[in-house]
Amino acid sequence: MTMQRIKPHLPWITLLVLTAMVGVVDPNFLRPANLLSLAGDIVPLFIMALGLTFAIYIGGIDLSVQSMANMITVIASIYLASLGAWVAVLCIAAGFGLGMVSGFLTTRLCVPSFISTLAVGGVCFSIAQWLSGNRALNMDAEQRNAVFGWMIGHTGIVPNELFLAAALLALCLFIERRTILGRVLKAVGAGEPAAKASGIDVGRYKMLAFAISGALAAIAGLLFSVKLSGGAPTIANGFLLPAIVAVLVGGTPLTGGVGGVLNTLIGTLIVAVIRASMLYLGVEATQQQMLFGLVLIGAIALTIDRSKLRTVK
Amino acid sequence: MKMKLTRENVIRWAPALVLLGLVVLFTAINPAFLSQRNLARIALAATPPMMVALGVTFIIVMGSIDLSMEGAVSLCAVLFCLLFLKLGGSLGAGAWLAIPAILLCGAFFGWLTGMVHVRLQIPSFMASLAMGFVGTGAAVLVTGGDIVRIDDDVFRALLTWRILGFPLMVHIAVLLVLLAWFIQNHTTLGRNFYAVGGGEELAHASGVNVRRVRLAGFALAGVFYAIAAIFQVARLGQAESVTGANLMFIAITSVVVGGVALWGGIGGVLNAVVGVLIVNVIGNGMVVIGLPNYLQDGLLGVLVIVAVVLSTDRRLVSFAK
Repeated sequence: MTMQRIKPHLPWITLLVLTAMVGVVDPNFLRPANLLSLAGDIVPLFIMALGLTFAIYIGGIDLSVQSMANMITVIASIYLASLGAWVAVLCIAAGFGLGMVSGFLTTRLCVPSFISTLAVGGVCFSIAQWLSGNRALNMDAEQRNAVFGWMIGHTGIVPNELFLAAALLALCLFIERRTILGRVLKAVGAGEPAAKASGIDVGRYKMLAFAISGALAAIAGLLFSVKLSGGAPTIANGFLLPAIVAVLVGGTPLTGGVGGVLNTLIGTLIVAVIRASMLYLGVEATQQQMLFGLVLIGAIALTIDRSKLRTVK
Repeated sequence: MKMKLTRENVIRWAPALVLLGLVVLFTAINPAFLSQRNLARIALAATPPMMVALGVTFIIVMGSIDLSMEGAVSLCAVLFCLLFLKLGGSLGAGAWLAIPAILLCGAFFGWLTGMVHVRLQIPSFMASLAMGFVGTGAAVLVTGGDIVRIDDDVFRALLTWRILGFPLMVHIAVLLVLLAWFIQNHTTLGRNFYAVGGGEELAHASGVNVRRVRLAGFALAGVFYAIAAIFQVARLGQAESVTGANLMFIAITSVVVGGVALWGGIGGVLNAVVGVLIVNVIGNGMVVIGLPNYLQDGLLGVLVIVAVVLSTDRRLVSFAK
């Protein structure tokens, strides 16, 4: 086994080592029920990171996901009463559409995605503030349970969110591995000029990547509002950086073309384990963020596969 | 040399034209926008982001990115306040030493980010993102989540002493812009930033020590973040672990709006200045013309897009990431 062959496996090895380390300190951590509920808690973050993977996979970034999720919690809370289950369609369509706008700005108007998605995020924030009148909104509990109750209960000891996450992961994996879209996105990430030169309408596929990112951020927002039974224009704040970190730690670098949605699954779990481990290891609240940064540097230094990066920018 | 009205020239001056257009627009709607008081308000609000933008400009010109500024500014601000108080709490009584100390501290933090990026071969986006967490975390750790106040009249003169109607720190900021411009155009280091940004392999082949240039760039950016921290403290009279919050997106947006390309080698300090002014004029103008609060973020986004679209030469850019 040379280093070169171990490299692609480092993300999940890191995950196992981290989990084992926490388990040694506190065996309670390793109880299946505990691990499952830990996993259930991070599903909104995971779904968001899943969408973000597509944007990063093509060498872009989507900074609108957090504002998108915020906006969706507001939309879901307001329109659940009148639309019932159709509110899910509205939410996903809104996410898809606004993602499409980011994609349009990036591909057709040559605005870097860093800026275009940030701007679309600003628009989402405005819409959320306008719709909600800057107040926290509540869902009708009975109606929420009737329409979306299946999202948040338990089946045995398994939180239902995990099924939703698994279904979306399978869908994304299918898109990535088995569709033309997935292949084109890989080509774009590996080398956009070459992809263009081989006759692909790169712009259209890139727009779709941003749209998928938007749609998944919307689903994350919907799940979030169902979990909290309400919405507010800032309720999902603090999700953006962890979502980016989850994608990067999993081994999908910002240069694109490497990694994928499975990596994001592992990356999200690594982030979750790091976060949870601080509780289990009794790290004081004031030290947590600094330690998170340091562990992050270590995790990224270990997991990132540099063999496909020509220069490290 | 006579300026000709060619495509290139129009696009080169587009950010400045956008700025001019915005000023005319807001003044037309509410003449109070151009009042001396309001201009001073804009300048004051723009000063700390301007310093951050200058620092990150060097990094972006190299084709890298730095997202550590929020952590760096928070940490420097907190350390500055603590050191200032420890050294007597008055600028006259030896506390001035805190200023060079904190500039060094900023340089060290930037250099550390550079080391993580260059030595561990981690792309700057992730290296600086993680170092940002470390910076904010260290600020929390040092303060224990508390606020540190400074009320030294001599130090607060940066804010309260007005020359020609503008606070002292605005004048200092102008000098620092000139300094940054000088570094960029008239030092080897400044030219090397462009060499690295224009093509790292080419720069390496022509004998530029790319690693050292990167390290120096991050350290230099760190110094500007430290200056931003000092201005923030002077403006607010206090420091805490969120002193640097929101500076990251504002600074990078400004730099890009001003016409610095995220892929490196294009634009520079003056673009950053125009960009910061555009973003601050938009922010202030929307308040002055009395738009409802909830519209501001969305409109800022739309206007930023318009500014970037107008100042990008789409014939030269084959694709955007």
